[in-house]
Amino acid sequence: MTFDSAVAYRLHERVALRPEPFGALAYHYGNRRLNFLRAPELVTLVESLDQHDSVRAAFDAAGIDPSRWPSFEKALASLAASDFLVPEEVAA
Amino acid sequence: MEPTELIDETETEAAEAEELVEEELLVEEISIDGMCGVY
Repeated sequence: MTFDSAVAYRLHERVALRPEPFGALAYHYGNRRLNFLRAPELVTLVESLDQHDSVRAAFDAAGIDPSRWPSFEKALASLAASDFLVPEEVAA
Repeated sequence: MEPTELIDETETEAAEAEELVEEELLVEEISIDGMCGVY
């Protein structure tokens, strides 16, 4: 499934985040994959995704510099591809 | 260095910095295959 920033996403229920000084470790207990989230802002964004109607709205609310949006969107797409993030309509 | 050369160098550095910002790696997947039982 192609990542769509106009859609609402949330963390998969089988994913655990462990805060670290560099950001967080993210482990998926279902597929047993491990990801490093290398920016605290990304961790905040990921944790807030389910509070917004779209990823773009979450970007706005998180106050991320628009010049960094491409990198953050790429990061979220990568997490979605690994099943760490799921679209809200699928997760329900 | 001439002032115009300084300006050119600064603009080049800014462009490179912008390019770096666009390419920052925010998510890194770590392979833990075969690490069962490793402490």
